[in-house]
Amino acid sequence: MSKDLLNNVELLPPDALFNIKSRLAKDSRPVKVDLGIGAYRDDTGKPWVLPSVRKAEKLIQQSTDYNHEYLSIGGLGALTQGASRVLLGDQSTALKENRVVSVQSLSGTGALHMAATFLAKVGHDKLIYLSDPTWANHKAIFEMVGFKTATYPYWDPATKSLDLQGYVSAIKSAPQGSIFVLHACAHNPTGLDPDHDQWTSILDAIVEKDHIVIFDSAYQGFASGDLDRDAFAVRLGLEKLSDASPVIICQSFAKNVGMYGERAGCFHVVFPRQDQSVDTEKVKAAVTSQLAKITRSELSNPPAYGAKIVATVLNTPELTNQWHSDMVTMSSRIIKMRHELRDHLVKLNTPGNWDHIVGQTGMFSYTGLSAEMVQRLEKEHAVYMVSSGRASIAGLNSSNVEYVAKAINEVVNHFGSSKL
Amino acid sequence: MQRRFEKIVIIHPPMNLKLVYQTPRLRSPNRTLVFMTSILRRHLHKFAGSIIGIPRAPPDRILGLTEQYKTDPNPQKTNLTVGIYKDNFGEVKTFPSVAKAQAILDEHIELNIDLSYLPINGCPAFQENVLKFLYRESCPAGGELLDKELVSFVQTLSGTGALAVTSKFLSSFISRSVWIPNPSWANHSNVFWNNGFKEINCYTYYRDGELDVDGWLLDLERKSGAGRTDAPQCIVLHACCHNPTGVDPTPEQWVRIMDKVHELQLIPIIDMAYQGLDTGDLFQDAHLLRLCLDSNRYRWNNGLFLCQSFAKNMGLYGERVGSLSVVTPHSVDVKRNIDSQLKKIVRGMYSSPPGYGSRIANLVLSSSHLKELWVEDVKNMAGRLQSVKSRLAAQLEWASLRDPSRQHGMFLYTGLNRSCVDILREKYSIYLLQDGRLSLSGLNDSNIDYVCEALRNVSHHLNEKEA
Repeated sequence: MSKDLLNNVELLPPDALFNIKSRLAKDSRPVKVDLGIGAYRDDTGKPWVLPSVRKAEKLIQQSTDYNHEYLSIGGLGALTQGASRVLLGDQSTALKENRVVSVQSLSGTGALHMAATFLAKVGHDKLIYLSDPTWANHKAIFEMVGFKTATYPYWDPATKSLDLQGYVSAIKSAPQGSIFVLHACAHNPTGLDPDHDQWTSILDAIVEKDHIVIFDSAYQGFASGDLDRDAFAVRLGLEKLSDASPVIICQSFAKNVGMYGERAGCFHVVFPRQDQSVDTEKVKAAVTSQLAKITRSELSNPPAYGAKIVATVLNTPELTNQWHSDMVTMSSRIIKMRHELRDHLVKLNTPGNWDHIVGQTGMFSYTGLSAEMVQRLEKEHAVYMVSSGRASIAGLNSSNVEYVAKAINEVVNHFGSSKL
Repeated sequence: MQRRFEKIVIIHPPMNLKLVYQTPRLRSPNRTLVFMTSILRRHLHKFAGSIIGIPRAPPDRILGLTEQYKTDPNPQKTNLTVGIYKDNFGEVKTFPSVAKAQAILDEHIELNIDLSYLPINGCPAFQENVLKFLYRESCPAGGELLDKELVSFVQTLSGTGALAVTSKFLSSFISRSVWIPNPSWANHSNVFWNNGFKEINCYTYYRDGELDVDGWLLDLERKSGAGRTDAPQCIVLHACCHNPTGVDPTPEQWVRIMDKVHELQLIPIIDMAYQGLDTGDLFQDAHLLRLCLDSNRYRWNNGLFLCQSFAKNMGLYGERVGSLSVVTPHSVDVKRNIDSQLKKIVRGMYSSPPGYGSRIANLVLSSSHLKELWVEDVKNMAGRLQSVKSRLAAQLEWASLRDPSRQHGMFLYTGLNRSCVDILREKYSIYLLQDGRLSLSGLNDSNIDYVCEALRNVSHHLNEKEA
């Protein structure tokens, strides 16, 4: 009868990124370079624990009331408050007008999953629009809860720049009230962000069509080294949408605090201003209760350790300053590596134009290398990246950047620049 | 004679919905389901489409009381609601074994240097050591299953996370119907409802102050017995220290129960949140797992799901450390397929689990010295809970306390009704759960007399009222 039911569970392909990690571990060649997963490495290729995080750890462990008790369902208040301040800014009108609900989430993915689960309750028939291309997991997160997804044009491979026209016309032709997932900064995987004027056109079109925005903010401060600069799109979006629609923001502290594995993040809902017939406090309380229910049914309450560290960094002025300079350390090293890689490729006379590597921002560069080039990079040169040609610039350092440039030069010449 | 009409009751707790329909008899269970779904969709639609229309979900029963406790000005206030272990000074102390592991982690910076993502299914060393602890040490017969690679594993956000992944997996592929005990941990039905289950059945567990195995098995038989042709059903079993009653089946009763569960081809979901808190012996407390994995007795064709947590027995509550393991009786291929689906679920929910707690648990499990200390810590904790119980028994003339082997673990199910619980809270600032569950660990030298006096007073009050 049901004896063989389990036998038919389908074997899924391994997750592309996590799979690179395991191939890399098995590779015995002396020189190998990991440009796969998006985690920061220092100039010696090692993971880097931020000095601000080390100091926060000390403070927490030395504190007399350090324990492992449960956090509340909504998470650590010191984290969620500090996090919304950092994201929305000290001058945020939404915060001043008390229009924000924030809860702790399992980093960015957990926040996106919460957005999906929550929105499924209010608008399960809405279409979710994702950028083409986007982070590999976006589609799965929304489809897992039953949403249908669509894409909007983003990257123009011919010019290696933003396809603004295609983007805006997708916004305009989407059914009114659709949900748009926007990368707040350091677009993953392309590393290409709209400039200020382009953001204005994008957000104006969204307001016009009464769409709902989910900002995925995974790299604030990591991209440019400046928290405010990297929050430009989010804050502009909140301003433009403040009378139009609720805005959801999924905030991760994986990259900018360098604690990928501790899963610290926040989920924010910013409510629009409404006329007096609507009791916003009541709506906020209802939404908060629904978010609590989601958390309770999936993990009871969020993990404490990472939350305490980030909260300490955000609420101790000395550590906050240290953190700001830590972010400058990371972002400036990455920017330096972008320049060195480009310069080496130019020096090697590698066919094609490589200026986009310098123009892109954040952890990644969409190199434009084809899947077969990527395959050859791995096979012949032990340089690993995802098949889309996305390279994690954080994996470059002064001792391997030239090696990587030469490897890219070899594969591009092998296949010919027409394949680029 | 065939009835021409039947009554359909739809209960949907997330929406506070209870609908009762008189319908013409529908010819098949499948049609009934289609009918019910269409009704449900109509009603859910009322709420859909606007953020303004969202109903307010009721506050969580347990954690809500804690919020209230925090603002209570009475200096004698006593919180007996939450299942966190506190020592005789009312403090939440990190276990010596865990504190040592933390110190090692802090001193040896290299152990903590890489704060990178864990793999989707968790830290590999943690996996190895947890599997060894569960399937070799707690349940020696499980070693063979590990050798044959028949156990899937994911590190989870403690017990709740394990149950959430379990219910998402089961509801996607195998079953959307589950049995849970009545009463059970308040969050069980919430977890299953919100992760794809469509039917939650309650089996009789506790009646008139006693475990009711006959009622339990009768319930299962009635609704899961012969003739049932649709998808298999699941059943949640509390491995030990049943929450909230603290009343567990004896080993003999478990055999009877599992024989029936097996006969009815139910899928066992073992919720093991309190391993070690019953007898004080971590390994002995895995009794139910050992019984279920006795291959001479049972073969679980649709797998056995073990949801396990280190929240209580390592005191790592807020760090969210636990695991889900799935035992399949089939082949390595089936196991790998399940692995891949579990990973997909995790990837879509939170990518990868938090690292810190699992690093600590792994240190404790992997060092023989720390592990010995841990075994001792658990013994001490269980010992204190036992002694609190005997002190209550000495001060209160309660039948439920007379037999020291009756109540297991952290909780005492007082049997006090809601109005008594309200009086305790309003008059004495003593906080119990609404169902009368009292967390023993909140009692200590400084408050036990006060609490006993209050309990005596309210139970008198109850008697008078009933007389």
